[in-house]
Amino acid sequence: MKSASGMNNVVMLVAAPLVIYAVLAIATGVIPGIELSRTPATPGVVPLSAQAARGREVYVGEGCSYCHTQQVRPLKEDLVFGRPSVAGDYVYDTPELLGSERNGPDLSDIGDRQPSEVWQYIHLYEPRAVVSESIMPSYRWLFRIKPHADPGDVVVPVPPPYSPPHGVVVATAKARDLVAYLKSLRQVPLRPAAGTSPAAAASPGVRAAPGGGGR
Amino acid sequence: MAASDASERAAERDEDRRLFVAYTISATLWLLLTTAVGLLLSFKFPYPDLATSPYLSFGRLRPIHTNGTFYGFASVALTGIAFYVVARASGRPLWAPKLAWAALWCFNIAALAGSVTLDLGINNGDQEYREWVWWVTLFFLAALVLSLIALVGTVARRAESDIYISNWYLCGAYIFTIILGITAILPWYQHGLGQVAVQGFYMHNAVGMWFTFLALGTLYYALPKLLNRPIYSYALGVLGFWTNLVFYPVIGAHHFEFSPLPWWFQTLAIVFSVGMLVPVVAGTANFALTIRGRWERVRRSYALPFLVVGVAYYFLGSSQGTVEALRSLQAVWHLTNFTVGHSHATMYGFITFVAWGGIYGLLPRVTGKEPNLLAAGLHFWLALLGVTLYVGSLSVGGTLQGLDWLHGDPFIASVEAASPFWVARAVGGSMMFVAHLCFAYNVYWMTLGRRAVHAATPAAAGAQPAR
Repeated sequence: MKSASGMNNVVMLVAAPLVIYAVLAIATGVIPGIELSRTPATPGVVPLSAQAARGREVYVGEGCSYCHTQQVRPLKEDLVFGRPSVAGDYVYDTPELLGSERNGPDLSDIGDRQPSEVWQYIHLYEPRAVVSESIMPSYRWLFRIKPHADPGDVVVPVPPPYSPPHGVVVATAKARDLVAYLKSLRQVPLRPAAGTSPAAAASPGVRAAPGGGGR
Repeated sequence: MAASDASERAAERDEDRRLFVAYTISATLWLLLTTAVGLLLSFKFPYPDLATSPYLSFGRLRPIHTNGTFYGFASVALTGIAFYVVARASGRPLWAPKLAWAALWCFNIAALAGSVTLDLGINNGDQEYREWVWWVTLFFLAALVLSLIALVGTVARRAESDIYISNWYLCGAYIFTIILGITAILPWYQHGLGQVAVQGFYMHNAVGMWFTFLALGTLYYALPKLLNRPIYSYALGVLGFWTNLVFYPVIGAHHFEFSPLPWWFQTLAIVFSVGMLVPVVAGTANFALTIRGRWERVRRSYALPFLVVGVAYYFLGSSQGTVEALRSLQAVWHLTNFTVGHSHATMYGFITFVAWGGIYGLLPRVTGKEPNLLAAGLHFWLALLGVTLYVGSLSVGGTLQGLDWLHGDPFIASVEAASPFWVARAVGGSMMFVAHLCFAYNVYWMTLGRRAVHAATPAAAGAQPAR
């Protein structure tokens, strides 16, 4: 009764999509994943310190990368954020945090662009205290308000009207870790060497940039 | 023997009905919860100091909204429809309904555990649409495997000799997504930039190999059924199936254009993004030619308008995706809110409208209970106008963001430029949420409500007594 061939065969219904998609998934997802995981590090890129690595976990847990990218594109408009990112910059970045949306600025080189710890603490406690038009959430749960600072406390000089009416704002360990991570986000300079240096990896993008919106 | 056969058959039909009802109610509860979350998120743009608790913060709620709408609402709603469609198109009741019940539990455990862990700041590294940690994802994958077995078992025992095209799309969706889920969840081969490549592959395929196939399968069944005429071209449906399958997996890297991923890999993704016009045009034309000349029937139905909007947004959203992938335009739109508008055009305008059309069109046939027509009308217009305002405002606001960056303005200028459009988006989002309340009200009347308007003629539901 049942037609045994082609699209009226239940074995084909399962086997054909299964085999074709498995092959495509391996070819276009898994193999690029394996190959690019072997990318050599850009000279000068080193693993994070233990504290910065803990800070990165805070960054991930709070979902910072939904609004902040960590990828500088080889486009003129991105150069305010640093030099174009290259493949070797991401060797120690698992999970990757390139991001897909810039409701806030790119942070690839924020450690160089905003080296002030005090600024970072105030900004995390109340972004609008330093950038009045900012729409970033305030991360007050990363701080504690204490009547007096104890020895060793990192006191955050929050300006009025954002400072608490009584007591002092003290950074928790999570805030200190997070700021250590932000300070660690510094792009290493690329050596202008020719040949197979990581700089070569960025060159196709740089060449294409004029067609892609740069002038 | 004959008498017991008949009562067995009736019991099986009853089981199918209870499954459809349970899946729809479960999906509706997740729709309300996760779009309430989305609504709160939209108001955080104009009011960043709104609800500053860590458990209500933007960074934790955003993945709850995306994963919850994807896997708690849309996946469950469309799976409920898939069980009904595959059983009917096979001429048999669903095989092994116990598996379908177990799948419903797994879907809900995953959505609940996923939402709770994300709210505690526990996630799989901000990897969009796979933020759930691995053991949560395993529950979701288990739901897919259980569903697939029930679906394929039903097709294997079909009364017809042919396998209708909708069953190819619907069964295919589960096969693809099980493979996709396994590649996404295995951590050992993806590090650094390698994970970026896998992420591009995953996030795009999770939409186009899962929701697109489920929604197209629903359309291929519901549209001809409600219009009471055969699909215009079976061959176009077959063409769409195979071209979507072959073209789609390659295009994920277009989410990372201008990134350090190999340049040729990005170019390949763009080429295949253009190739996607083939299945999109094939599908849209097929549906449009099936609808042609039956507008009177569409006008008199409360279900068909949802499907028509779904077809329109399928074409608009997908062709927008192709255009957006071109490098010259990505240079302006990439990383802006334009992308957020695009994802709502497709996941909401296309996928969600098709799910609603499927539920309104098919559920009353098994429960014999019709929705409130005023609420259905309010649902339709508020959702359509709301999502159109949402997509329109973010398209304009996102373009302004991109142009501000291009002009080299200070970053905060792009925030200020987008601000009025974020307010418009919140207005659109509010309309969408009110539409969901109307839908929930109607789900109640189509399932648990005591009123049975046309209990005697359930077949008239959806297409209404046009004869």
